[in-house]
Amino acid sequence: MAALRTTSRLARGFKVSPASLRRSYATVQPASKTPKTKEPALDKEAKTKTFQIYRWNPDEPTQKPKMQSYTLDLNKTGPMMLDALIRIKNEMDPTLTFRRSCREGICGSCAMNIDGVNTLACLCRIPTDTAKESRIYPLPHTYVVKDLVPDLTQFYKQYRSIKPYLQRDTPPPDGREYRQSKEDRKKLDGLYECILCACCSTSCPSYWWNSEQYLGPAVLLQSYRWIADSRDERTEARKDALNNSMSLYRCHTILNCSRTCPKGLNPALAIAEIKKSMAFT
Amino acid sequence: MASIARSSMLRHAFTAAPIKQNPSRSASTVAATTFRTAKPLARQSFQSAFARSSIPSTPRVAAFHATGSKAILPPLPQAIRGDINDPAPVPESHPTHGNYHWSFERLVAASLIPLTMAPFIGGSLNPVTDAVFCAALIIHSHLGFQSCVIDYFPDWRVPKIRATFNWLLRAATLGVAVGLYEFETNDIGVTAAVARIWQA
Repeated sequence: MAALRTTSRLARGFKVSPASLRRSYATVQPASKTPKTKEPALDKEAKTKTFQIYRWNPDEPTQKPKMQSYTLDLNKTGPMMLDALIRIKNEMDPTLTFRRSCREGICGSCAMNIDGVNTLACLCRIPTDTAKESRIYPLPHTYVVKDLVPDLTQFYKQYRSIKPYLQRDTPPPDGREYRQSKEDRKKLDGLYECILCACCSTSCPSYWWNSEQYLGPAVLLQSYRWIADSRDERTEARKDALNNSMSLYRCHTILNCSRTCPKGLNPALAIAEIKKSMAFT
Repeated sequence: MASIARSSMLRHAFTAAPIKQNPSRSASTVAATTFRTAKPLARQSFQSAFARSSIPSTPRVAAFHATGSKAILPPLPQAIRGDINDPAPVPESHPTHGNYHWSFERLVAASLIPLTMAPFIGGSLNPVTDAVFCAALIIHSHLGFQSCVIDYFPDWRVPKIRATFNWLLRAATLGVAVGLYEFETNDIGVTAAVARIWQA
């Protein structure tokens, strides 16, 4: 699967379709109509880049969401998208709202849709091509709280429903720790690193359609993290909870989840492992 | 007769259409869908604002499309079941809709590959292999379309449409089965037909 991702990434560079055939971004507003905010004093050697950002204010619910463009000098901005957002908020428009915390890809707060890809703003470099504008949206198909802040209530409720904690009935044999062999520990690599940023779930078309009932890649990856854990004693109960037409089997191996994961994890593989372990039993 | 009535009717429909439209059902107004606690009063004011903005004030020209755009299954206003800290409900275990279904689906799909190739590699047209192939094909396509119905018509939201489409699918599958049976018994059969088209 890892090999598949690298090759597909290479292929993306070769794509040369004429501009007329290229699909444009779905947008709430054409670029010509967006209000524009520019940096106050521009240098002569300024590398200016335009950022189109989705804005919606819950205090004015009758106003439709709109795009607003900000022009920044990249020489004065940090290398990452989050640096640009923080700079806009600090120096240009304090009303711009987004979540951020660790600014190094550990907390998963700044997940958003940047140039059509769900990713963490703190792990996404600003494309150096200054002629092209960057578009920043909240995570797709989420209820928006404000600007770039999505409502993840359903996501967290689903995460809670898979009981993401160790469930055991027997005490540890030595009375101290639940021990695990190195091989068993290895099974959790690629699973425990998930930071629940919801990039994969909100990139999954199946989750867009059925987020009420389908758990989505992130939660299923976490479910597999506990199914694969050798110390957990409720494996069968966990599998049983997924054994219906909606929770797990709405996954149609679209693989958007593995492609978008900003941490380089593979939720699709985890879902395939669950399906495999449940098949023919 | 209609030509006399049309222009005034059209104008009437044009002015009436945006007002009739329920704002919470149109997907373009994300504001309405995210507006969680929509009180009747707030909704009323929103509706009038929407109606005002959608009708251009100066040139009142009757457009060809008098009705507003209709989105298919637009998102509902957000509704949180129970407390925000309650877990999402875990459905009951149904192996026939779950792992048995999935295993069966994959077995049928995998078996179609050798079944498709067998008559051409073997070089003989056996009615039994033909019958097995047709059965597998029908089951495979039925399961595929069933998956589409489950995906696109959630039963918690549109239970009647879901049931209708399920029965439509069953009727279609039965129709195809009867048709293939007729084709197999009274005509040359699927494999022979494919072979003929291939050589034609």
